Amino acid sequence: MLKSALAGLSRVANTLAITANVAGTCTVLALVVILNVDVVARSVFNSPIPGTYEIVQLAVVMIVFLQLADVVRVDRLTRSDGFLNLLHSRRPRLTSGLRRIINAISAIFMGLIAYIMFPEFIKMWGTQDFFGVPGVFTVPWWPVKLVIASGSALACLIFVLKVITAQDRPQLIRAPEHDMPEGPSK
Amino acid sequence: MTPIEIGLISVVAIVFLIYSGVYIPIALGMVSLVSIWLMRDNFTLSLNLLKIAVGDSAMVYSFATIPLFTFMGLIVAKAGLGRDIYEVMTMRFRRVKGGIGMATVGANAVFAAVTGSSIASASVFTKVSVPQMIAQDYNPRFAVGVVAGSSVLGMIIPPSAMLIIYSFVAEQSVGDMFLAGVIPGILLAIAYVGAIWFMGRYTPSFVGGRTVHDTEWMSKREVASKTLPTVGLIAIVLGGIYTGWMTAVEAGATGSLVALVIALVRRSMTLKGFWDALLETGHITAAILFLITAASIYSRMLGLAGLPNQLQDLLAGNSASFWTIMLLYILLMIFLGTILDTASIILIVVPLFLPLVIAMDMSLVWFGIITVVGAEIGLLTPPLGISCFVIKSTLNDDSISLKDVFMGALPFAFVMLIVLFILIEFPILSTALL
Repeated sequence: MLKSALAGLSRVANTLAITANVAGTCTVLALVVILNVDVVARSVFNSPIPGTYEIVQLAVVMIVFLQLADVVRVDRLTRSDGFLNLLHSRRPRLTSGLRRIINAISAIFMGLIAYIMFPEFIKMWGTQDFFGVPGVFTVPWWPVKLVIASGSALACLIFVLKVITAQDRPQLIRAPEHDMPEGPSK
Repeated sequence: MTPIEIGLISVVAIVFLIYSGVYIPIALGMVSLVSIWLMRDNFTLSLNLLKIAVGDSAMVYSFATIPLFTFMGLIVAKAGLGRDIYEVMTMRFRRVKGGIGMATVGANAVFAAVTGSSIASASVFTKVSVPQMIAQDYNPRFAVGVVAGSSVLGMIIPPSAMLIIYSFVAEQSVGDMFLAGVIPGILLAIAYVGAIWFMGRYTPSFVGGRTVHDTEWMSKREVASKTLPTVGLIAIVLGGIYTGWMTAVEAGATGSLVALVIALVRRSMTLKGFWDALLETGHITAAILFLITAASIYSRMLGLAGLPNQLQDLLAGNSASFWTIMLLYILLMIFLGTILDTASIILIVVPLFLPLVIAMDMSLVWFGIITVVGAEIGLLTPPLGISCFVIKSTLNDDSISLKDVFMGALPFAFVMLIVLFILIEFPILSTALL
C-alpha cells in the first residue's frame, strides 16, 4: 500500500519535472529567437524590440528554476563524488547511507528556499508589483517568484523521494557530452 | 567564537563536505546559511539573505551567455566542425615528428573559439584524434596526453563558461573577459606545439609514431569548405564583441543561429539531435547558475565574517611580496583543483582574494585570466582531473588506463604552469586587447 503510493508519487514528481524541463528548454529556444530578431531589428531597421533586456532576465530565471528539478532527477547537480565512488566498492551499505544523508540535507536546503519564496509570491500577487521601465516594457514580479518557489519545492520533493527510495546511481563523471555522437564529417 | 573564526571554519567545512560528495551548491548554501545564523545569532536574518541571493542572482542579464554559448558549442560539435578543422590541420603538419599531435593542439585552439567547454573539446578530439595517432604508432600515453592538454584551451579561449563565471564574481564585463582570453589562449597553444616539438626531438620514445609519406593533399576548395564555417563563426562572435556591435549575450544568440544554419546546410542536424542539444543546454545552464546562486550566498557570508579583509591585512601586514601572494594563490588553486571542478574553485577562491587584488592595484581582468588558467591545471591532475575522466570514458579502450591518461597529461600540465608564470609576469598579455 505504502509502496504503491510512493511509486505513484514518484511518477507524478518525475512527470512534473520532465514537463517543467520541456518548458525550460523551450525558453532557451525562445531566447535565441528573440535576441536574433532584436539584433536584426536594431541594426537593420533601427528599431529595437522594447523590453529585450527584461525578457532576457526573465528567461534566465525561468531556465534555471524550471530545469532544476529535472537536473536533480537525473542527478546532474554539480558534485565531486570521487570519494563516494571509491567508498562504494568497499562499503556499499555505508555509502548508500551517506548518499541518503546528503540527499536529506539537500532536501532541507531546497525546502527552505521554497519556504521563503512562497510568501514572496503571495505578496507580489497581491501588490502586482513589476520591474522594467514603466511606459516602455514591464514584467510583473509574481511569475518570477512563483517559478522559483515551485521549482525549488519540486526539487525538494524529488530529493525526499531519493532519500526514501535510495535511488542514486554512482557514476564516474556527470558529463553526458561524452556520449554525444560526432556528426558525419561532411 | 568571533565571526572570523566561524568564517574560517565554514570555508574548511565546505571543502570537507564537497570532498565527501555533497552537491557543491548545497554545501556552499547550507554552510553559509548556518554560519550567518551563528555569527549574528539570528535565523531570520540568514533566511532573508538566502531570499535575496536566490531572487537577485538568477536575474542577471549577462547570465544568458551561459545557455547561449553552451547551445552554440553543442550544435557546432554535432555539425562536425571539430573534425574538419582537425583534418585540415593534420594535412599541414603531417611531415613533422609529433605533427599529428601539433595538429590536435591547433585544431583544439580553433575549435575552442566556437565552444565554451573543455569537456566538449576532450570528447570530440578523443574520438577524432586518438585512434588516428595510435594507428600511426604513436605512444598511447602521448596521444591521450595531447588531447587532455589541449582540451584545456576550450576554457581559456573565448567564449568560455569559466570566463563568464569569473566576470560575475569579480563584476567585470563578459566581453572584456572574452577579449582578455584571446592572447593567453593562443600563447598556451603555441607553448604546447613547442613542447611537442621538444619532446619529439629529445624524448622520441615518449612520442613514438612514424612520419607518413603519402601525399594526399586536399584541394583548395575542400580546405575552404572545411575551414570557412568555423572561421566565419569566430569572426561573427568575437568580431561582434570586439567592435562593440553586439553585447556578449547577443553574440551568443547570433552565434547559435549561425551554428544552427551551418548544421542544417550540412544536413548533420536531426530534429532529435536538435532537441537533445536544447535539453543538454538547459541542464548545464541550470546546474551552473544554481551553483552561482549558492556561491553568492557564500560570498555574502564571507563579507559578513570579514574574512577577505582579514586575509588582506594578514598578507599586507607581513609585507608579503607580490610573488609570495601569487605563489600562495596558485598553490591553493592547484590543491583545490585536485578535488574540485574549475567553476567551484573560481566561486570559492576568488571572493576571498578580491579585496587583496583591488588593494594591490592589480587589473581584475588579468587576475581572472590567472585564476582560470591556474584552476584549469587541476583538470589535468589526479585524482579528479575531469578532462582525463572524460577522455577515459570516451575512449572505450581498456588497454589505456586512467593512469596512462594522467601520465600523458602531466607534461602538458607542466607547460601550463610555465605559461601561467609568464602571464603573471606580463599582465599586458591579458590586457592588450581591451
